[in-house]
Amino acid sequence: MTQLIVIGAGLTGLMAAHTAAQAGLQVRIIAKGMGANHWHAGTVDVLGYHPRDSRQPVRRPLESRDVLVAEQPGHPYARVSPEEMQAGLEAFTRLAQEAGLPHRGSDEPGRNLLLPSPVGAARPAFLAPEAQLAGELGRDEPMLIVGFQGLRDFYPQLVAENLGKQGVTARAAFLPLSLVTRERDRNHVQLAKLLDEPERVAGLGRALRGLVKPGERVGLPAILGFQRHREVLASLVEQVGAPIFEIPTLPPSVPGIRLHTALARRLEALGVRIETGMEVLGFHGEDGRVLWVETETAARPLKHRAERFLLATGGVLGGGFQSDHTGRIWEGIFHLPLTLPQERSRWFRPRFLDPAGQPVFQGGVPVNGNFQPVDPASGQPVFANLWAAGNTLAHADPIHERSLEGVAIVTGVAAVKAMVGDRAPANS
Amino acid sequence: MHTISWHSVELTLDECIKCNICTSYCPVAEVTDLFAGPKYSGPQAQRFRENGQPHSPDHSVDYCSGCRVCNDVCPTGVRIAEINAKARAQMVAEHGIPLRNRLLGRNELLGKAGSFAPHLANLALHNPVSRVLAEKVVGIAREAPLPRWSTEGTFSAWMKRTRHRRLRSDKKVVYFHGCATQYYEPFIGQAAVMVLEQNGYEVLVPPQNCCGLPMLSNGEFDAAERYHRGNVARLAGFGLAGYPIVGTSTSCTLTLKEEAPELLDKEDPGSQALKQATWDIFEWLRELHAEGQLSTDFRPLSPDEERLVLPYHAPCQYRAHRIGKPALEILSLIPGLDLRESHARCCGIAGTYGYKAEKYPVAMDVGRELFDFVAAQSGAEITACDSETCRWQLEHGTHLPSRHPIEFLAAAYGRYDLERRRAVE
Ligand code: SF4
Ligand code: SF4
Repeated sequence: MTQLIVIGAGLTGLMAAHTAAQAGLQVRIIAKGMGANHWHAGTVDVLGYHPRDSRQPVRRPLESRDVLVAEQPGHPYARVSPEEMQAGLEAFTRLAQEAGLPHRGSDEPGRNLLLPSPVGAARPAFLAPEAQLAGELGRDEPMLIVGFQGLRDFYPQLVAENLGKQGVTARAAFLPLSLVTRERDRNHVQLAKLLDEPERVAGLGRALRGLVKPGERVGLPAILGFQRHREVLASLVEQVGAPIFEIPTLPPSVPGIRLHTALARRLEALGVRIETGMEVLGFHGEDGRVLWVETETAARPLKHRAERFLLATGGVLGGGFQSDHTGRIWEGIFHLPLTLPQERSRWFRPRFLDPAGQPVFQGGVPVNGNFQPVDPASGQPVFANLWAAGNTLAHADPIHERSLEGVAIVTGVAAVKAMVGDRAPANS
Repeated sequence: MHTISWHSVELTLDECIKCNICTSYCPVAEVTDLFAGPKYSGPQAQRFRENGQPHSPDHSVDYCSGCRVCNDVCPTGVRIAEINAKARAQMVAEHGIPLRNRLLGRNELLGKAGSFAPHLANLALHNPVSRVLAEKVVGIAREAPLPRWSTEGTFSAWMKRTRHRRLRSDKKVVYFHGCATQYYEPFIGQAAVMVLEQNGYEVLVPPQNCCGLPMLSNGEFDAAERYHRGNVARLAGFGLAGYPIVGTSTSCTLTLKEEAPELLDKEDPGSQALKQATWDIFEWLRELHAEGQLSTDFRPLSPDEERLVLPYHAPCQYRAHRIGKPALEILSLIPGLDLRESHARCCGIAGTYGYKAEKYPVAMDVGRELFDFVAAQSGAEITACDSETCRWQLEHGTHLPSRHPIEFLAAAYGRYDLERRRAVE
């Protein structure tokens, strides 16, 4: 029988399954659709803003973690020790490397990078794919931001202007989209795939060489190749003779999809099956254990039996929770207790960008020190063989804190380690 | 005229969060700008199709192949492909059906007609002159991989001929052969019978007709409904009596399970009984295996010690069954088989899509991903895929023979000749 079923194919699910496979468990992932990686910038944000002081980005997230967990003892980061946090991030870095998509952090170890967002704001990130590193705002070279005429959702003037306001020297230029394609209305992912073809890269390289001034670095929308991304980047750098970096675009996000695809292929090579299009509708529990979950099919529910289950379906945004018009919110599969407000009027604060964040994004499934969902009244695990990780967990506000990937990776790894008894439980 | 109801799909429409993940994975939108892509043609255009709007706003939806990659990747569960199928039906209701689509929809009629004189029919259809004519006059692409009629009689005829050899048992299962097995590839049915009998089941093949899918996918809902009613009348009783109905054609079984009842809004007990009783054959064998009942008396498929490299492509319909890849799971039990799983999104053919002259180039561009995958598997001299039209397309695109997984399984039981494609009894 399958030893572990992970529900959810986002970063949490992938990291959890990888950890389990390495521990020798026979593991399978089932998911309703593609994970939230597809919306993300492809970076690993561990802690970008301190929830109490959201004006200044956090400089050293692993150190700020201590302050955060002192203030918020229920935070998922409080369930792991600093060493475990470090180890989880290293596990990711190794996996990404093996998957052919290396990620690195700042040259100054332990520091957040500051990278340009799609509108030129500063975006703190702890680890970034190679292609984004030269966008670090702290570097000296002036920037040339290049867009394509007719490409939606990327406006180089806007990016350059906003960067300028933050003291970064940046100018903007346009190239014709016909360098990449003559077809109409292509989205970023389709363009990235077209750039896998060397002739197109050569054409783009020539055009860029004509634009760039000595000493500049070049920022482009993140469409520099898909399967052959690293070759495409290397070839452009060589042709243009300047540092080149990608700026992630609005969803669908090429760096996010590249990361998902690379990790998924790597996991499959390690024998982990990933099945999408499988929506879990129910489960069967007996004597405090989950015996199987059932997914919807064209004819009849399909049972998936396993010794253990790990819930990695995400929170309100990821699709792990359901709600109705009255404001009732529930966890969609096991109906686990949630710490979320059950009245619509309490989901949001009056101000859209309230510095304290929005309550509806801060609640989730409460767990014990071993990442087992608990009944808040008794503190006892709801099911003996059920674990939860990632943004399903209560007491984090990943959007506000910019901790989405950090929470996913660190808790995904730690939950499986707790499951297989490979860790000393952190004080909870 | 069948009225097009949006009842079951409109419920998912509001789930769309406009993330465009579907557009990023749609294999058709990737290779042509003649199709606006799943988000625009599906949930977006749908807003303008509801509530008695006089015209369908987006005709490019005709380029949707129905592969359902979009449904599979959508994080919120929007039934995009079904929205598109209904939109095509609405276009048919508005503009009528081209003769070509009518022809392609009449799989069963064509099958029957050709079977009277298969040699002649093959000659008549497969010579270059008639292929050029077919393209010019009706718009069926001249290069597209059309099947050949079986020259050894239909599958039913074989069942009749071998009546005295068929297993009698208390354990019975109904086999749904579909048009392709009946008229073009009776050996697929033979392999299925061999596998089922090996596991101690008597195989019943009651009268049945075309599942109606070719008509559904060309938007001819009226005709499809007549076919579906016929199958309910003939088969639902077996379901109610507790017999599983298994099929080797992933598209026929899908139609009986879901396509027909859902697109035609069939909620009658007969349609529901048929739906509940229908299984893809490997889905059913996987259950058997889970219960420890599947015979695993396999012999290796290659004569020497060498492993047989087998690229396997799961057809798009499995995505719609939402049962994973059961054929892959069962084939992996066969010793000495080096299975290589394809992650290509679609072979391109998508039922009758790739037969249409204007869509043939799109289909071949979509299939490139799969053809390249097969070419990259060194040592591969044969491929496997569950769906008939996909196999024909695979052979067309790779120049390698392609077989149904059930043929490999029957061969591994020593009851089928993979080379000559016939039962060994
Ligand atoms: S993937 Fe689903 S939610 Fe996203 S745009 Fe497409 S239909 Fe909408
Ligand atoms: S069914 Fe296939 S071709 Fe049609 S929109 Fe979806 S992904 Fe594209």
